[in-house]
Amino acid sequence: MAASRTFEEPALTVLAPPRPVLRRKRYLLPFGISAAVALAGAVALFVSGTVALPFKQVLVITGKLASKSEFFTDDVVRRLLMAQGVQVHITRAGSRSIATNDIDSYDFVFPSGQPAALLIRNQRQRESKYAKVHKPFFSPIVLATYRDYAEALQAVEQGEPDKSLYYNLPMTSLVEHIKEGQTWNELSHGLNNGNRVLAQTSDICSANSAATYLGLIAFVENGNQIPQDEESALALADRIKPLLTSQGLPGDDMSKQYLAPEGKGLAPVAVIYEHQYLAHQIRLKQQTGEIDRNRVLLYPEAQVQTVPELIALTPAGDRLGEMITNHPGLRKRALELGFRVFEPDGSLSQGQLTGFLKALGIDVPSTGVGDTETFLPSLPLLEKMIERVGDCP
Amino acid sequence: MKRLAAVLLAALLAASCSAEAPPPARLTVLASPELADLGPVLERLRRDTGVELVLEHRNTLEATAALASGGAGHDLAWLSSDRYLKLRGARPPLSTSTMASPLVIGVKKGVADRVRGGTWAEVADRAAAGELRFGMADPHRAASGLDALVGVATAAAATGSALRPQDVTCDKLGGFLTGRAFSAPTSTAAADEYVRTQDDVDALIGYESVLLSLNDSGKLREPLEIAYPRDGIVLSDYPLMLLKPERRDAYDRVVDWLRGERGQRLLMERGRRPVEPDLPRPPRLSEPIGNALYFPDRQEVLDTLLAAYDRAAAGERGRVVFVLDYSTSMAGARIAGLREAFATLGGGGGFDRFALGETITVVRFAGRVLQEHTVTVRGQADLDALRDVLAADDLVDGTAIWSALDRGHRLAEGGAVVLMTDGENNAGISAEEFLRALPDPPARTYAIRFGEADPVELDRVAKATGGRVVDAATGSLLEAVKEIRGCR
Repeated sequence: MAASRTFEEPALTVLAPPRPVLRRKRYLLPFGISAAVALAGAVALFVSGTVALPFKQVLVITGKLASKSEFFTDDVVRRLLMAQGVQVHITRAGSRSIATNDIDSYDFVFPSGQPAALLIRNQRQRESKYAKVHKPFFSPIVLATYRDYAEALQAVEQGEPDKSLYYNLPMTSLVEHIKEGQTWNELSHGLNNGNRVLAQTSDICSANSAATYLGLIAFVENGNQIPQDEESALALADRIKPLLTSQGLPGDDMSKQYLAPEGKGLAPVAVIYEHQYLAHQIRLKQQTGEIDRNRVLLYPEAQVQTVPELIALTPAGDRLGEMITNHPGLRKRALELGFRVFEPDGSLSQGQLTGFLKALGIDVPSTGVGDTETFLPSLPLLEKMIERVGDCP
Repeated sequence: MKRLAAVLLAALLAASCSAEAPPPARLTVLASPELADLGPVLERLRRDTGVELVLEHRNTLEATAALASGGAGHDLAWLSSDRYLKLRGARPPLSTSTMASPLVIGVKKGVADRVRGGTWAEVADRAAAGELRFGMADPHRAASGLDALVGVATAAAATGSALRPQDVTCDKLGGFLTGRAFSAPTSTAAADEYVRTQDDVDALIGYESVLLSLNDSGKLREPLEIAYPRDGIVLSDYPLMLLKPERRDAYDRVVDWLRGERGQRLLMERGRRPVEPDLPRPPRLSEPIGNALYFPDRQEVLDTLLAAYDRAAAGERGRVVFVLDYSTSMAGARIAGLREAFATLGGGGGFDRFALGETITVVRFAGRVLQEHTVTVRGQADLDALRDVLAADDLVDGTAIWSALDRGHRLAEGGAVVLMTDGENNAGISAEEFLRALPDPPARTYAIRFGEADPVELDRVAKATGGRVVDAATGSLLEAVKEIRGCR
């Protein structure tokens, strides 16, 4: 058939030049489709900021941070920053170890609380080095636990019995249990846990959350008084040391341990930030529609807000600080990651987080927004207490 | 059309070239031995990221010692845990945990019933009775071996706190180690040794991942049932540590991949628990692990523990001499309590039970020594013989405490003496005479005091020997015996 046609119309076969590869129909169609798909994909990625790299200049900003690194490793935050031509490269370290090590090679540091931030700001000022402070959001210190542990501690539910995610914890009773050396089994046999009652923290020598918890325990142990001089601060440190060190070798990241599927065995009561817990609930709710009602938070009655400070060490770091504080998309994402964001006028408020959680159908913790870290002793005394309790190098 | 296509192609190539395909890199890694099965995972890592990891395996504790003294020139270290590095006071390098595996006990199905619940206490009890023989890694060299030792000692101390040196001095490892069939230099070598000796050994202590892969290997005639010792779980989280900061870029690529979905899934296929909480897991990696123990925070504790291990492993169990008051005032509840305590020690006493190979002497006394009986435990018959000695009903008047204790000291042979009495000395030598005749060094004497016994005099004698008095009135007799048994 093909042969006879060739004979009937010889000119076509003989004279026509070979068709260029790209114009052959059998090639052109699949190539066209795949090229179009690839182009569409490239455009989509470009728009979302993912592969902006080859097309425009990207500013790489380096930072050293502790728990707030969770903000910068979030995929949405990375995309939003990339769309602004910024890529953040982070190194994790405890807040206090950020403050006590060389940070000159970074564009910014982001210690989780004010004590470490103050150490850094003082240091920069002494050395007349660049330092600009941004405070984009804040989050309280909480004791994250499981419902049966909260019940065993006789914490008081904030809402409906057996349903609310939040409890108020009378700290004096917790401190008593810890002091008596009671085990969880002695408190409630159903817990099936022979370990001593305590709240596990990260390393007191390096982590802001642990240092804040130290301050809280010291405050309660001292009859709700802040030590005013070195002698009484050190005496107090010696008194509370056994309460904080019987956990043995501290873990690196309490929220990771607590939120792991094995969390109830690894860290049944863990000192973490509220945002770490809320991020877990928000993600779960958005992905599955469910709320994790086994994991609950204990709020000590002494207000324990912590205000992380993004300290820019270079103009590039400052640009990042501006972005985190003002960019609407990044502010919204901070809420989705469980942070309380400052109001535009810089005032503390939980209004925005409350609205966001309500809209999602997640209970809202009712904590007053009070003074920040007022139960902590002055920085030099706190430092002395940390070193005494933690035997810090 | 032709031109457009060419432009498109060029643009795509440019995009893919500059955005992807990072420069290939090769990193040397000081690694725990049990990571040797990750070859295929690392090959995939190399294809995806361009980074080749060259693992040099070394026993974890030896690798830790090398790191603590400055390292051996590797780019990275990938060890089961950085706990032991921290305890050596080394400033831990930048590190990211990559996967998790708890230390567990794999027990043959037929034997698993005997350690129901799989606590360290039950394992120690069965091992001491000669009913459980297990293999483990050497705690001087392998982290899994030392993890196990910390688990056993923490459970034995039962304080609920991190182990302290003074918790180790009452040596409760002996019963547990009675069941030790072998110790191998690494967790993987222990698995190999178990394969060779599986007909004679009932259990293997090691990482969950090693035991799961042993079960998968087809080399076992009887698979191992995995028990999670809920009275002392130690979880290893395999931190990848950056030793050379200039390799940070390649390190980040490796970490991102290992922590990413593909890396975590491939690690799960090799029996490791993921560290990313949201990934669905197969059932065998979803087993609840129980409560993690509070890990000791001082190197001194580990040193004390290893010294105790060496003594116990060498079979250096001190003889224990029980000097028991059989005067008439002990009749009734007191003597019943004594018998009950011994019955518990004879079986079901957890860490405190009499172990195979242990030598126990009983000296019964009233106004004089009524009976001496020494057994070296070889089996149930010897424990029954002890029970029969305690069952004697020949209680008579008179209390010759110091003469009987003197006799006990002569039989102690470097072991400890436990005295139980409820009366005042009214026969034989005086406490002064006893103390004067005390050999040097004396056998540590622990006195358990009932009722009317003179606390001051007992205390004086006990302290002179390095022991102390425990009051049976304030707690149960068994608790008192448990507290001091095996102390030296």
